[in-house]
Amino acid sequence: MRMGDNNEGGLGTSKDEPQMNQDEMILAQQRQIEKEISDSIPLVGSLEPLESLNKEYLTDTVYLEKVKDLAKKYKFMRRTRPDGNCFFRAFSYANVEILTGKKEEFEEFYKLAENSKNALVELGFQQFTVEDFYDTYMEVLKRIKTAPTVEESKNELHTLFNEQGFSDYMVVYLRLLTSGQLQKEEDFYSCFIEGHRTVADFCHQEVEPMYKESDHIHIIAACAALNTGVRVVYMDRGTGKSCTEHDLPEGCTPTVHLLYRPGHYDILYP
Amino acid sequence: MSEPQSSLLLRKQLAELNKNPVEGFSAGLIDDNDIYRWEVLIIGPPDTLYEGGFFKCHLYFPKEYPLRPPKMKFVTEIWHPNIDKNGDVCISILHEPGDDKFGYEKASERWLPVHTVETILISVISMLADPNDESPANVDAAKEWRESYSEFKRKVARCVRKSQEQEEC
Repeated sequence: MRMGDNNEGGLGTSKDEPQMNQDEMILAQQRQIEKEISDSIPLVGSLEPLESLNKEYLTDTVYLEKVKDLAKKYKFMRRTRPDGNCFFRAFSYANVEILTGKKEEFEEFYKLAENSKNALVELGFQQFTVEDFYDTYMEVLKRIKTAPTVEESKNELHTLFNEQGFSDYMVVYLRLLTSGQLQKEEDFYSCFIEGHRTVADFCHQEVEPMYKESDHIHIIAACAALNTGVRVVYMDRGTGKSCTEHDLPEGCTPTVHLLYRPGHYDILYP
Repeated sequence: MSEPQSSLLLRKQLAELNKNPVEGFSAGLIDDNDIYRWEVLIIGPPDTLYEGGFFKCHLYFPKEYPLRPPKMKFVTEIWHPNIDKNGDVCISILHEPGDDKFGYEKASERWLPVHTVETILISVISMLADPNDESPANVDAAKEWRESYSEFKRKVARCVRKSQEQEEC
């Protein structure tokens, strides 16, 4: 679901009402929709059998066929809240989840994360403003890494990612890392940016603000920033009986698997 | 978490501003028990019409700060195209992306979680020096600024004088 697409129609402004209130009404309605979503859908859900998707498409043969195809490759899924941050939250969660139980790889990732703040500061981000998000990011990683068993690590991960404060800070920091990556490789990424914007402008408008949705370019940069590959499985109403798979960066061996349905990402498990 | 992150972050920023004050403004709380409501005194920037003035402002932070922006209001009377007649400040960085109430042309300078009280105040001070008359919150002030600058100057000078008198008592 695209946040912000829900504003059209339904407001029924009559001519008698003062014009100035309309924008405020739209904002209020948007907040209301956001609240309904946040009251009913957890930030990151529990593991569910893939077949739970069928419930959403009871009469839709196109999707049911595709779920069938998807079930050949994936057994489980984990839903994320559709709040515009779903890619960053799903990617961040799935990436750390895979690392639990892989001691050496987790240490390696931890080091990469540890060095990331200085890299951002060198790129011109302000130390004082980046620090809070970085500190929380490292605290979350540390708490998951030092839990005594894999089971407890996974529980810690799930608890922290469902606490708004921690979870949103993880999203902010990954957004900053993604922005940093885009700006570091400006020459490369500038070719993919639409609308005559500089890479820095694009980052300020589309990457760093919360609740802004992600596109291909975000995903490629986020993968590069975390040194991880992701497979995005596209499921839409297009023709064909199977879903389309995209590995990002191209040709990688993906560790994180995400299900993309127009406007939203969830996590997939083989 | 016992104390929300927003409150920890605001505490940290307040301590930092008290330790290393930034030129052009001073910051404190309206009520010492409420970290979400700040009182800031802006010193009218030199070489602008507002030079010599002392402008008291309030900042109201949401619990979701820094994911969402604070609101800012001038308590001291001020005449400026981007501050409405109630004192509410309308600049792009205090609006979230997608919030198009004032129809800004560029989305480039919207609210970002990395903004702090300091970066907000720097933007507001620069706004005092350099109004944006494309998206005015005070249409009369914007019109005067464009069409009858001497009248605009006169009104600003009166606000500056009044602000000095208020500071003295």
